[in-house]
Order: sequence, then C-alpha cells, then structure tokens
Amino acid sequence: MNILWDNIFRKPKKEDDIRTVLKENVLFRDLSERELSFVQDIVHVRRYHSGEAVFRQGEVGVGMYIIVKGRIEIYVTDPNAAQEEFRDIYITQLLDGDFFGELSLVEENGRRTASAVARDETVLIGFFKPDLTEILERNPSTGVKIVFRLAEVLGRRLKETTDKVSELRKTLKELRGPPPIAPYDGQET
Amino acid sequence: MMDKKLESRLRRERWLKLSAFLLIHLIGIVLLFTIDNLLVSFVLAFVINYLLAPLVSFFERKSIPRHVAILIPYFTSFLLIGVAVYLILPLVTEQIASLEAQLPTYQRDLLALIGRVETRIKTLVNLHELNATQTANNWLIAKTAELSTILPAIVSQSLTVALLAPFLAYFMLQDGRRISRGLLSMVPNNLFELALNLHHQINDQMGGFIRARFLEAAIVGLVVWLGLAIIGFPYAPLLAIFAALTNLIPYIGPIIGAVPAVLIALISEDGAVYQSMSVNLVVVTSIYFIAQLIDVLFIIPFVVARIVNLHPVTVILVIIIGAQLMGILGMVISIPVASVLKLTLTAVYNHLLDFRA
Repeated sequence: MNILWDNIFRKPKKEDDIRTVLKENVLFRDLSERELSFVQDIVHVRRYHSGEAVFRQGEVGVGMYIIVKGRIEIYVTDPNAAQEEFRDIYITQLLDGDFFGELSLVEENGRRTASAVARDETVLIGFFKPDLTEILERNPSTGVKIVFRLAEVLGRRLKETTDKVSELRKTLKELRGPPPIAPYDGQET
Repeated sequence: MMDKKLESRLRRERWLKLSAFLLIHLIGIVLLFTIDNLLVSFVLAFVINYLLAPLVSFFERKSIPRHVAILIPYFTSFLLIGVAVYLILPLVTEQIASLEAQLPTYQRDLLALIGRVETRIKTLVNLHELNATQTANNWLIAKTAELSTILPAIVSQSLTVALLAPFLAYFMLQDGRRISRGLLSMVPNNLFELALNLHHQINDQMGGFIRARFLEAAIVGLVVWLGLAIIGFPYAPLLAIFAALTNLIPYIGPIIGAVPAVLIALISEDGAVYQSMSVNLVVVTSIYFIAQLIDVLFIIPFVVARIVNLHPVTVILVIIIGAQLMGILGMVISIPVASVLKLTLTAVYNHLLDFRA
C-alpha cells in the first residue's frame, strides 16, 4: 500500500531536480516552498545536444539560463581575427548549478556579448524577462525578492569586472615600464 | 565549433520540431474554421480573457488562488449582466414593441421621403425611368421576409456562442499560460527566445488593444445615451448600445452607429412622427459628432495610444471580407482579426530583423 501511495505522491525525479536547482540558485534562495512552486510553473526547461549553441554573440537576449545538468562553454567571437581558428576565444566553462545571461533580464533589447555552447547533453532552466514580468504582475512580493537578488548578482559582477579592469591596467602599466623622464632644459617649472 | 554530422542531426531535429509546432497550429486553425460557431466563440473567448485578465491578476496579488481569482470577476460579471438584463430588458422589450408598432409608420414615411426626393430629382434631371419608391418598397418587403427566416438561426447561433465563449475563456484564464508553455516547449532551441518574446509581445499588445477598444466603445455609448436622453430622443438606450457595438468597427463603425438615429430624425422631421418633440437632424448628428470628438480628442490619445490602426483601404477590404464570410458578426470581428494578423506579421518581421541584425 505504501508503495502505491509513494508512487502517486512522489514527484518525478526530473521535477525534483528542477526544484533543487532553483532552490540552490542565488536568485531564488529567499523564496518559500510555495513561491518556489509558483516559479517552477513559470520557468522553461530546455535540452541541448553537445555542440549545440544556447545563444550566439550579437543576438537579442531575453533572459538567463541555469544549468541543471551538463556543461556550457562561453566564447567571445572576434570578427577581426585573421585566421578562422582564432576567431572564437574561449572564456570559461560553466557546470551544474551555474547560471549565465542574467544581464538580459534587465536590459532593453540588449545583445548577447558572448556565445554559449553546450559541451555535453545539457539540461537548462530558462528564466526570461516575460517570466519575471509575469511573477512581478501576479505575485509582486516574490518578484521583489528575485529582483533584489538579481541586483545583488549584477552588482557583484560589476565589482568583479571593475577589479579585473584595474588589475589589467596595473599589469599594462608594469609591462610598459616607468614613464620616460623628460630631459632637463635648465628652466624651473 | 560544431562537426558536420551533429549539424545535420540538429537541423533535422529542428525541422521536425518546427513542423510539429506549425502542424498543431494548422490543425487548430482548420478546426476553428470547420466546426460551427467555434471561430466566433474562440474570438469572443479571447476578448473575455483579455478583458478579465487584469482583474484576475489583481485578485491573485491579494494572495487569492488563481481558480478563485478567476471565479470572482466571472460571478460578478454574471451578476451584473443579470441585474442589467432584469432592469433593462423590460425597457428594451417595450422599446422594441414600440419600434415594431412604429415600423409601418417609419416605412410609410421613409417611402414618402424617397418619393419626394424622387419627384424633386425628376423635376431637376427629368429622369422618367427612375422608380426609387417602388424599388425601395420591394427591397424593404424582401428584407423583412428574409429577417423572419434567418432570425431563428441567428438566435440559436448567438446562444451557442454565448454559452461556449465564457466556458472557453475560463480555461484560457486558468490554463492559458500552461498551454502556451507547452506549445513553446515544442519550438526548436535556435528559435525559442524569439518565439517566447514574440508570444509575450503579441499577448501584451492584443490585451491592450482589446481593453482599449472596449473602453472606447463604452464611453461612446455612454455619451450617445446621455445626449439622446437629454433631448428626449426615442430609443436612446437601444441606439446607444448599437452605437457602442458598431464603434468597435474602426472608421465606418461610427457612421453605421449613427445611421438609425439619423434616419429616425430624418423621418421625424419630414414625416412628422415626432414633430411635437424638439428633435431635429442637426441635434442628433451633433450628439454623435460630439461622442466621436471626445473619442478622437481624449480617449484615443490618452487611452487607446496602443491601438494599431490599419489603413482605411485595408479596413474597407477587411470589413467586406468579414461581411461576406460571416455577415454582421464578421464585420465586427474582422478588424480585431486583421489587427492580430497585422500585429503578428509586424512583430515576426521586426523580430527577425532584430535577432539577426
């Protein structure tokens, strides 16, 4: 009898996976069980083959993706590269639980700044601007929690980028060496 | 980045998914056009869905479960319609009975008017072959006879639509998003973001468009009702409802809406049916003109800013097609259907440009 009841009430493993991934994601961390169910009914689950592009650089972005299972590689395409094999510059690899493309949630017709390609059979959760709008419209308190976390993530990314730029500037300065000293012409400045 | 074998496999899979997606839509369209009353019910259900959706969201925001949030505006609407029918029906029945009683007089006066115009034209142009009075009389007799035969069919069709449309609308409100998500899940990965954004945009624009049109029609109807009631014009509520409904047809709708009142005023002036009342053609025309002026100057710029207007020639063509396919109902729904098509095509075109720029 127990087995029967267990089978009736147990959610499919796939759904459990989606819920766990959502629950562990920083964007949805503050949500209650009820709010998570609400969000789970709104997001989209997409499957990608190894080598298939999730999105390409330059396309209009509509939202972000969370990796449920698989591997995603991020590339930046340099159209000015002399040889084709050097056109795609590898940036990073993302694994289970990681997310990408979140800037599109707040941008108006913003274009993707990099390409994302699946490297294994990959399952992703797609969370898009229309979905966020729907949550804010139907359940504003849940929407606000997500937007606050999103702002936090974007702020952190901005800080990381600023640190990286400062670091690069410093390296560049070191590589260039000290600025040349102007020859003394006998006049006081 | 991708080998040839995988590329061809992906291409095959994408075509398969896209074909399945389009096939489902095609089957849906065929069913809508082949099953009696389904298309009209579906369009009306869409209208109800778009009109009630903001209210449902409002109640949902108050932590009321969605199925209950849908039932609240549903029951309120039924209650309001019931009360309105209870209050207005005796008035409308009375007015229809009075109109029925006056109809022979109107018919006689209209023919007399045509006769007088005919005589004047004959004296002016000397056209002996012109026999407008007889032609108009024959036309009126034929149309009255036709009305008695098609009326039962219209009543039965209207009843089916009146029952089916709210039923379909309930499921659109309850499961519409789930169905959309299900359909979107069939879209191949390379077109998914495009399809999702497009779906959202069309939904948003159509919702705004339908709500704005209905608000516009209600305000025009109210202004006409008030105006006609103030001057004591007969059948003010009936004429106002007619004006509000025909106002849903852009460009020619307001003209059609004014025709019955103008005709009554014309006959009253000429045939002395309502000569005791201070009603004349200029006053009645002014009321309809004021209603349209309020619509054009205040409602359209501030409320109906999202309306996607069609070119006047397109409107006429679309109305003719609608009338040919589905009569009066076709005329009313032809413009929203054409607007949906225009919106869809524009959005697809813009998106294709945008995504591939």
